[in-house]
Amino acid sequence: MMNAVQSGSVRTGEWESLAARQDARRARKNALLTSAFGAVGLATVLLVLGLVAAIAYHGAPTLSWEFLTQPPREGMSAGGVGPMILGSILLMVGAFLMATPLGVFGGVCLAEYGERSRLMRLMHASVAALAGTPPIVYGLFGLAIFVLKFKLGVSLLAGWLTLTLFCVPSIVLTTEAALKTVPAALIDGGLALGLSRWQTLWRIALPYALPGILTGIILSLGRAVGEATPVLFTASIYYTTAETTLGWETLRQPVANLPYYLAEGYRQPGVVPERLIWGACLTLILLTLLLNAGAILIRSRTRRRYLW
Amino acid sequence: MVAAMTLPKQKVAMETVELSVSYNGKPALKRVSLAFPANAVTALIGPSGCGKSTLLRCLNRMNDRIPGVEITGKVMLNGEDIYARRVNLTRLRREVGMVFQKPNPFPMSIFENVALGPRLHYGLRGRALQEVVEDALRKAALWDEVKDELHKSGLALSGGQQQRLCIARMLAVQPRILLMDEPCSALDPISTQKIEELIVELGKQYTVIVVTHNLQQAARISHYTGFLMYGELVEWGETRQVFENPTRPETEDYIRGRFG
Repeated sequence: MMNAVQSGSVRTGEWESLAARQDARRARKNALLTSAFGAVGLATVLLVLGLVAAIAYHGAPTLSWEFLTQPPREGMSAGGVGPMILGSILLMVGAFLMATPLGVFGGVCLAEYGERSRLMRLMHASVAALAGTPPIVYGLFGLAIFVLKFKLGVSLLAGWLTLTLFCVPSIVLTTEAALKTVPAALIDGGLALGLSRWQTLWRIALPYALPGILTGIILSLGRAVGEATPVLFTASIYYTTAETTLGWETLRQPVANLPYYLAEGYRQPGVVPERLIWGACLTLILLTLLLNAGAILIRSRTRRRYLW
Repeated sequence: MVAAMTLPKQKVAMETVELSVSYNGKPALKRVSLAFPANAVTALIGPSGCGKSTLLRCLNRMNDRIPGVEITGKVMLNGEDIYARRVNLTRLRREVGMVFQKPNPFPMSIFENVALGPRLHYGLRGRALQEVVEDALRKAALWDEVKDELHKSGLALSGGQQQRLCIARMLAVQPRILLMDEPCSALDPISTQKIEELIVELGKQYTVIVVTHNLQQAARISHYTGFLMYGELVEWGETRQVFENPTRPETEDYIRGRFG
């Protein structure tokens, strides 16, 4: 501060000391905030890690190839959770195949027409509300409409439809959000090249937004696969000892699945040994972790392809 | 009010007639009538907010999308008003290409950036497509730098290269008229020089219309110059005449650097 001069009531020699006081104040504040945020962040991470570690500790001894592939035996008191895993995967794949086109299309519509039309603004608000609706509501809706009204019965098909409804709102919202991150300059570039609006969307905006959209889909599925309530009254069966055979008739039959197995199994103490519950718990967590890992992989791969 | 400004014996590529633009009722361009000579470089200069970019973006209807915009008057191309009803925007933009102030390569490979247009507009594939891509990259003076890495992302290029990629992308669609909206203002001096040389070269085969806030640049690269102020076309003529012997005092003030 060599050239600072008198200004207002501050005298020439005073600037340095004023700045030093502010610097010290800033440093104190920085240190305080850094440690505060660090502590909160660490607590969150520890909480999650602790939870996973506890489940892994109790569940890992149960985990075996047999446990993952064999059906329960001896009145659910022994054996594995093979049918539950298969059922969960079946439910998820069906929901994925149905919810993805619907959700992405909805998100595209909202992103393209959202701001101009009042109808679309209303739709956005409705979808956002649906995304926050508790899963049990979807379960009851599915029971009333798909199971009873459409007479699908408690079946894989009814479960698919219910899970699809459950997944669509969040996929719509993440697709819309991902499309909104597409820089306007890229859209302008496409239009200036003479591409139609749909070509611009399809060729430029969607590829750009793809990592975000895929992440949204996978996270939504991850949530769906762990929820017991949407499939509670629509698709689930608890007592299975037979290996599931796949065929067209599977569509009309209920399926076992991990979250429902956990809920029911825990409610009937003494029947299902605790170690099986822990094992199933860990299996479910691993399944969702696998999905999330997939999401991260897809995202980094597409990003590398498009951006670096 | 300045009357339609044309020079005799110069073939006109595009022409605005009493073109006015307002954004939410605020006028941005006031009854501009201006003929752009074919196969020459025309520069549009003027202080910030004078409407030069607005004028440029009217020439391929890129202003249509802006909410609250109102456009009156005509823009004539091949004897047709491009603002007439039932004008095919794809056809218009195939003929009138555009590059922007900030390079905006698509997030895809260099080849794909250039191939996208000819593939969608002309259905080209394989060998024919490769030839068009190479030709466009050569015309944009980028081929030698990227010919061995056509599969690399367009975003991996430097700013100046990205801008030339955008020019190649535009040329690949086979336009006749090239609109450039301050194409060098985001670039360093060396890249700027390359783009300027490129514009001069392109001016021999294409009708080039360049918006620039850089007066020296306008003087270096253009055959004709239009000077806009407060949304009005103040002066238009051959570049040398506009710079050395302007007819209006506002032009003189601006060029001498008295304001703007």
